[in-house]
Amino acid sequence: MGTIVSIDVYTSRDVAPAEIDEVRRQLIRARAVLQRADEVFSTWQPDSAISRLRAGKISVAEAPAEVADVLSRCETARELSDGWFDPWAMPGGVDPTGLVKGWAAQRALAEFSAPCITGAMVNAAGDIASYGDPGRGEPFRVGIADPSAPRRLAEIVSLTGAIATSGSYERGRHLIDPHSGRPAVRVGSASVTGPDLGLADALATALAVAGEPGLALIEPLDGYEAMIMGLDASRQRTEHFPLSAPQ
Amino acid sequence: MKRAPIVISATVAGLAGVLAFHTTPAKLSLGALPTADGSRPASSVRPASSSGSRASSGHPAAASKPTSRATATSGGTRSAAGSAVNYSYGVVSVKVTVSGKKILNVGIASIDDGGNTRSESIDQQAIPILEQEVMAAQSANIQGASGASYTSAGFTQSLQSALHSLDFQ
Repeated sequence: MGTIVSIDVYTSRDVAPAEIDEVRRQLIRARAVLQRADEVFSTWQPDSAISRLRAGKISVAEAPAEVADVLSRCETARELSDGWFDPWAMPGGVDPTGLVKGWAAQRALAEFSAPCITGAMVNAAGDIASYGDPGRGEPFRVGIADPSAPRRLAEIVSLTGAIATSGSYERGRHLIDPHSGRPAVRVGSASVTGPDLGLADALATALAVAGEPGLALIEPLDGYEAMIMGLDASRQRTEHFPLSAPQ
Repeated sequence: MKRAPIVISATVAGLAGVLAFHTTPAKLSLGALPTADGSRPASSVRPASSSGSRASSGHPAAASKPTSRATATSGGTRSAAGSAVNYSYGVVSVKVTVSGKKILNVGIASIDDGGNTRSESIDQQAIPILEQEVMAAQSANIQGASGASYTSAGFTQSLQSALHSLDFQ
């Protein structure tokens, strides 16, 4: 995936050394999950399972089991997004990249379960899976980059679960209009929150291409909310997108 | 009274196996993280202190024990350097000075991009903007950023560790 993943684990104070050892083992497993995902799904590595699948050298049945799992999730995302997310319409063969990064981060997060952990956050280059809170009784707060100046934050979200953001400023992201097969971005950026980062990631990719009409596709999805930011500083969002007031 | 949490962070850069730990409070040290299979990955796994040693020699500011870097001066002004954090083009450590609940100054304690010219141009564009924006948005009190760039991820993480070491929230 060629990206940076940072993992933050928040624990209560006065944690016993044995508990820290347990968190450390969970961190190691989370890292292994990410590395495994990279090995299987890197479209940059010619020997990866996904590359071999794209090249027609193996079938889905011959690929590692994760491939069928991810492609099944891609199908769901394609249906929910009314075809605006479509890994099968990518140039060069099926490309689940728009869902894989979030899927992998969500799986890495699932490794954390120690009782001393109040919350954890896996941030895969700006797509974030989380559970719990930082330990002060308030939810995680996450900034959304300003699409017209990505190193500035435009909004703050009170996060429960996951958030993914897609935008024209991102590098290495395949924002292709599945209906035309050409690169197309109709928004500054699109953010989607929800319980699963894999689906949020795919839906954010879909929204970035679909633009404002795509919000009507997110509104009925239980647990998922979305916001589109225009390069002109405009905002459109679903009814319950969890914007937070500055503190 | 609510207590400050311990934060354990790891950065997996390019998924090549680079992990940097920082914990607060400093007395709790995790040490080096072994790899999942016991072998050495292409990039070595190390605690934040040894990645700090990679930072430029003139600024040995990155530390695995951030609170030991915290310095107090008159008027309650305190400063600390954050953990050295790996990002796509190098290693960055951020220094922050606070007074009470206010950030007085933020800047780069050290940056090592290996002399990569592309990286240098990114740094020259990004770092001053990041410094300004931290000053402008210091009250935002966030734990992460969505849609942010590679450089800002490293910058933000190091800044966060510096703020943690000062118990600044």
